[in-house]
Amino acid sequence: MTDGLCVLRRGEPGFPRLLEEIPDAPGALYIRGRLDPEIPAVAIVGSRRPSPYGIRTAAALARGMAAKGIAVVSGLARGIDGMAHQAALDAGGATWAVLGCGLGQVYPPEHRDLAERIVASGGCLISELPPDAAPLAAHFPRRNRIISGLSMGCVVVEGRLKSGSLITAKLAAEQGREVFAVPGPASSPLSQAPHWLLENGASLLTSAEEVLWKIPGLEDKLAARSRPAAAAPTALPAARRVSQGWSKILESLGSETLTLDELREAVDSDAQPLIQHLVDMELSDLIIALPGRRYARKT
Amino acid sequence: MIARAHSLALRGLEGYCVAVEAYVANGLPAYAVVGLPDAAVRESKERLMGALRNSGFFLAPKRITVNLSPARARKEGTHFDLAIAFALLEATGQIPKSIAGARLCLLGELALDGTVVKIESTLSLALEAKRLGFTALAVPAANAEEAAAAGLPVHPVNSLREAVALLGAPDGEKPRPYAGPGGDGAAGGEPEAGDAEDLSDIKGQAFAKRAMTVAAAGAHNILLIGPPGTGKSLLARRLPGLLPPLKTQEMIEITRVHSLSGRSGAARSGLVRQRPFRAPHHSASAVALVGGGPWAKPGEVALAHHGVLFLDELAEFSRQALEALREPLEEGRITVARAREAVEYQARFMLVAATNSCPCGFRGHPRRECLCTPLMLGRYAQRLSGPLLDRIDILAEMNPIAFDEWSGKARETAAPSSATTRQAVLGARKIQEERFRGMDFAVNARIPARELRRFCRLDGDGLKLLEAASRRWSVSARTLDRTLRLSRTIADLGQSPEIRSEHVAEALDLNRLERLWADPAALAAPL
Repeated sequence: MTDGLCVLRRGEPGFPRLLEEIPDAPGALYIRGRLDPEIPAVAIVGSRRPSPYGIRTAAALARGMAAKGIAVVSGLARGIDGMAHQAALDAGGATWAVLGCGLGQVYPPEHRDLAERIVASGGCLISELPPDAAPLAAHFPRRNRIISGLSMGCVVVEGRLKSGSLITAKLAAEQGREVFAVPGPASSPLSQAPHWLLENGASLLTSAEEVLWKIPGLEDKLAARSRPAAAAPTALPAARRVSQGWSKILESLGSETLTLDELREAVDSDAQPLIQHLVDMELSDLIIALPGRRYARKT
Repeated sequence: MIARAHSLALRGLEGYCVAVEAYVANGLPAYAVVGLPDAAVRESKERLMGALRNSGFFLAPKRITVNLSPARARKEGTHFDLAIAFALLEATGQIPKSIAGARLCLLGELALDGTVVKIESTLSLALEAKRLGFTALAVPAANAEEAAAAGLPVHPVNSLREAVALLGAPDGEKPRPYAGPGGDGAAGGEPEAGDAEDLSDIKGQAFAKRAMTVAAAGAHNILLIGPPGTGKSLLARRLPGLLPPLKTQEMIEITRVHSLSGRSGAARSGLVRQRPFRAPHHSASAVALVGGGPWAKPGEVALAHHGVLFLDELAEFSRQALEALREPLEEGRITVARAREAVEYQARFMLVAATNSCPCGFRGHPRRECLCTPLMLGRYAQRLSGPLLDRIDILAEMNPIAFDEWSGKARETAAPSSATTRQAVLGARKIQEERFRGMDFAVNARIPARELRRFCRLDGDGLKLLEAASRRWSVSARTLDRTLRLSRTIADLGQSPEIRSEHVAEALDLNRLERLWADPAALAAPL
């Protein structure tokens, strides 16, 4: 795991300038893969146990940013972090993962494959800890300042009031970065952090395009790199012809996850025709069936 | 002088004739029982001494040998007492020769005061007596009804005196043999009036109830999954009440195996008239489930024959125990092999399994958060999958009910009662009975793969749907077969001769076991 590892000291050429500026910048970074200090980066962080809505949104944002040539920075954690890295890779972009342990290992272990793909596709794994450092709880809040420090802006997708995402956002604000929050359903506890941020001055973010004009200088930087943006994400599939029964179901689902019983209540249908619609819609890739007989929209 | 009387012994459920010979000779007074008697048979000496004396007979101080023939086979149980008593009485000249003819089978245990007390496994003994060519039975009065179900003339006896008087009487004066509890034995099997467990007691859970109905209609095995307290075992317990009444033949099979394990509910009515519902605890061993022990006793699967085997907390059962369920689930019978003998029991039951959706129980809960790590979930999935899940046709996920449903405030869409549901099930079963007449299977769940084409023909739309599903979810051939059987049952429930796409859709919905492990991460994939 330690091959291909290099150390970058503060002050050396190649050390990201943005990170150098922060108050307690790390003295050195261990890096696996390629850290191109010229690429403008934006962080996407969020809950480790996101809702389907959060997953969808984070993935869409990461894909959009990566397609525009922005490096997506995150913490390789379960949930939103992993989704953001994955989606950036899917869009053919670069993504940087800042770990809370030494680079001699990957935490959480189920993201080992993802870590390999990040390195293989031109991104990098970053840590300020020596390679054999264990993933101790104390390491994670400190690694958050690197996530925000590397980035021009920081997007919080979902999180509770006491969450690492909120810590990262606060650090970002202290470092003078642009802080974004994605609004969530009022009923969801996972909306606490983003809504708190919005109330306290964060910018509202609903699409990847918005970061371009909401972060000063980002567009110029991208243009200056004149790197042809990676292939734009495939255009949204042509609007499918959707029957009335289907559109009623899609409408009822909205951005929520509903159980079968709730859905039946909402569309006021008998059980059998509803089930038939749901099976058809699942086969048509419009919805996904989740454990506990819950359903969510895919688009 | 030698005298002989006849009885019967059991090996598993299979019987063989036992001739009881008594030989009384002069010499030092002694009493010996030979022919591999077990301790209970050997002790018959003491019981007999008392019983004979207290019935007004005596046992002379002579050299007495009792031989149980065939001498090679082991004899267990106390039901030889009556036959031994008759042989002794005849050998000592106290009753006329051969009043108990060779075609009369004597079964009964004696008490010291000469009363004939209840024995075990009466039905099996009576059935085997008939098979082996006996023409009449003498049994304890308490076992008369159970014995009569076999169809042989039964002489119920209360005491040794009574037995001697009855069997010694000239033919014309013999009381008529027991004729059963007034009327034909086919009556019954209906759930008893005031059966407290009704489907309508369960609030909400309309989809799970529907799944249970489909399971009952086609005898499909079903897995109930949901957070704790959602009513999984409540629902499972209501399944026997949804199944069709037992046929006499089925009652006989059930009673045989239950009386063998010494727990017949037969004391009251002779035959077991209710479908068995067996719910072994999850700490049960493989032997407890499939049977075994020194006498190759039937296990839970045999006791659940024609009924329901309910495995609550499926994930907690030992791997070995679950593995052992494969044979009965596949074959409908179980062979219990011991050192000296192998006994085969029938074990055709419906399996109902229940489990939490994850180790913490809250995966899929609409309001609570599941705290299991991916690693824990993976292990859990591994525990659950494997051979057993392959035999389960229906997955019913249950959600915690909302307060409105619990309080009855919610618009209840005509919560079906057990009675109305049962009518629908009976209708579907009737169709199946006619369809499968002359086949060696009787329900949709057991249509063999080679016959599926014949009985489960799909229309164009249904086929298209199934094809789309098999592509999208990469389902195995076995799952496709299962879907076909399920669609057949759903069509039968709707009294529809042909299987339409709506039936296929519901079947697909009911057996998507992989939905259990559906990963929300799929949402992040680009379309």
